[in-house]
Amino acid sequence: MIWMQLKEGRARYPNVTGKSLSGIMNSYREILIGLRRLLSISLGVLFPAMVSTPASAQERIASLNLCMDQLLLQWVAPEKIVSVTWLSGEKHYRRAPLPEHLYLNRAQAEELLPLKPDLVLTGQYGAQRASQRLEQLGLRVIRIPDAYNLAQLQQQLSSLQQALGELPGLRQQRGKLQALLEQAPETSSDNPRALILSANNITYGDGMLEHELLTRAGFTNLAAQQGVQQLGRVSLEQVIDSQPQLLVFYGGEQDFAIAHLAERHPVLREYIEAGRVYRLPQELGFCPALAAVEVLQQLMEKRKEIVGQP
Amino acid sequence: MLANRNLILLLIVCTLPIALIAALSSGPVSINLVAAIADGWHSDSSDAVILWQLRLPRAVLAIVVGAALGLGGAAMQGMLRNPLAEPALLGVSSGAALAAILVLYYGAAVSGYLLPLLAIVGALLAVGSVWLLAGHGASASRLVLAGVAINAFLSALMALALNYAPSMFAMQEIVFWLLGSLANRGWDQVLLALPFIVIGAIFLFLSRNYLRALSLGEASAASLGFSGRRYPLLVLFGIAFAVGASVAVAGTIGFIGLVVPHLMRPLVGQDPGRLLWVSALAGALLLLLADVLVLNTVGAQELRIGAVTAFIGAPFFFWLIVRSRQGGNL
Repeated sequence: MIWMQLKEGRARYPNVTGKSLSGIMNSYREILIGLRRLLSISLGVLFPAMVSTPASAQERIASLNLCMDQLLLQWVAPEKIVSVTWLSGEKHYRRAPLPEHLYLNRAQAEELLPLKPDLVLTGQYGAQRASQRLEQLGLRVIRIPDAYNLAQLQQQLSSLQQALGELPGLRQQRGKLQALLEQAPETSSDNPRALILSANNITYGDGMLEHELLTRAGFTNLAAQQGVQQLGRVSLEQVIDSQPQLLVFYGGEQDFAIAHLAERHPVLREYIEAGRVYRLPQELGFCPALAAVEVLQQLMEKRKEIVGQP
Repeated sequence: MLANRNLILLLIVCTLPIALIAALSSGPVSINLVAAIADGWHSDSSDAVILWQLRLPRAVLAIVVGAALGLGGAAMQGMLRNPLAEPALLGVSSGAALAAILVLYYGAAVSGYLLPLLAIVGALLAVGSVWLLAGHGASASRLVLAGVAINAFLSALMALALNYAPSMFAMQEIVFWLLGSLANRGWDQVLLALPFIVIGAIFLFLSRNYLRALSLGEASAASLGFSGRRYPLLVLFGIAFAVGASVAVAGTIGFIGLVVPHLMRPLVGQDPGRLLWVSALAGALLLLLADVLVLNTVGAQELRIGAVTAFIGAPFFFWLIVRSRQGGNL
């Protein structure tokens, strides 16, 4: 059986200047990770005060990144936020109430300047030109690293805490994640088999956060077992043939798309009727910090259900 | 000569079951076909589920859609008396696809018979527009001009509709609507399309003598008792039912309606009535073989079936042009 390996990776965070979740070539990712490290070292050496100063006193925070938008809206008082990206106004991505006074930016420097933010949060990849221009104009810009695995997620939350200071919600989330990660993953040859079937027959293999969550929860990810690195493609025939004990769908989009035909195929009805399915929330894809803890807990519970089954 | 023609037709008939076996044997998973057949429809074994629930409906859909497109192409060429008439080329498929896009992406009905019905209405409007715009007995160039204009306009509307569709996947799915696909299809899609394709085939069967008479010219057809609008409308509805229902479940698959009637015409002695059924048979075979090719092509993504049929169809166009330059008629 041949499991198709996708050549392209996928940007976890949508570009605020575009609508779709466009892919990023893996080779670019490696270069960008290198650049990120270089940037971190440069910032650490050149601007130690800027990197280490907590920003709890910030009163006018703006964001150029969808994930940062959502985290700010969840954990920071609304009156302290001046702008988030336009994507946060879209129903696909909105997870927290959107205060009316917020300016919805499209990652243009000129949009943010009149708002006079004292802190601009941005992600690792998107809106780089705007953030560089804002820095040149003297605004304080902090890049929060993206998270593609649990270790990076911890690092992301830590960077966020460093930038925003002590926030109860953020501290609680870090604590929960830490506690879950301290539980040793249940590795056993009897681990129930799981397989992710996402839109357009995409599955998640080794090196992806989704794979790590499955294995941490005590499942064997069949895609990774078949050698899929990062993203791969899985046909319905392969799903049936590999007989996963848990079939994991991704996202809860109800709008029609040909991309969802596979998961609506009658051949999977048996899985759905038997409750042998789990649905990863869509926000795990664009902002794992919002959902990873909850997903890990739910997957652990799902495992108990499956293992307990005769 | 007649014996040779019948031999070729017999060969097509015999090749269809062989192609079906090839389609049922093709796929990313290696299955024991004989054991899966023996296990039967209700078996829970992986091989049986793959065969009966995944491969067979896909192969049946390829046969049904291929037959509908071959039939639609033959009827269009007969009615417009033009060798360039083809549902995908002249905007009929685009009309159906636009209607299907509006139904599916804007939430009117994800399932149910509203989808093929509205696709049929879309196809009907498009084929009617081409017919009216080109006029009776239009020259090849005028017909192509009218068809291309309508096709371009409808394609632009498709892009517009997908651009504003609520699903974030919609825009990239224009590839499906322009090139078609049989991936992830099941019995539900077969049952959705089949009744309407059968109705379309019945309409075209009833109009077979009109198409024969029309090959002598409109005046001759009228003198033979085929005057009035009844028969042209019957053909239009037949084409719209066959092509519309196909596009609703498989997207636009081009060139089958163009190539197949041309290849089959000499085998039926230029008889437009017999051409309908032979084109349906050959269309089914061609699409099934194209799908076998798709299933056996290795790649990160499944090759679009419309691309495969275009690979067959485009050289055929070249041949048509070369032949016309050498003095033959199009």
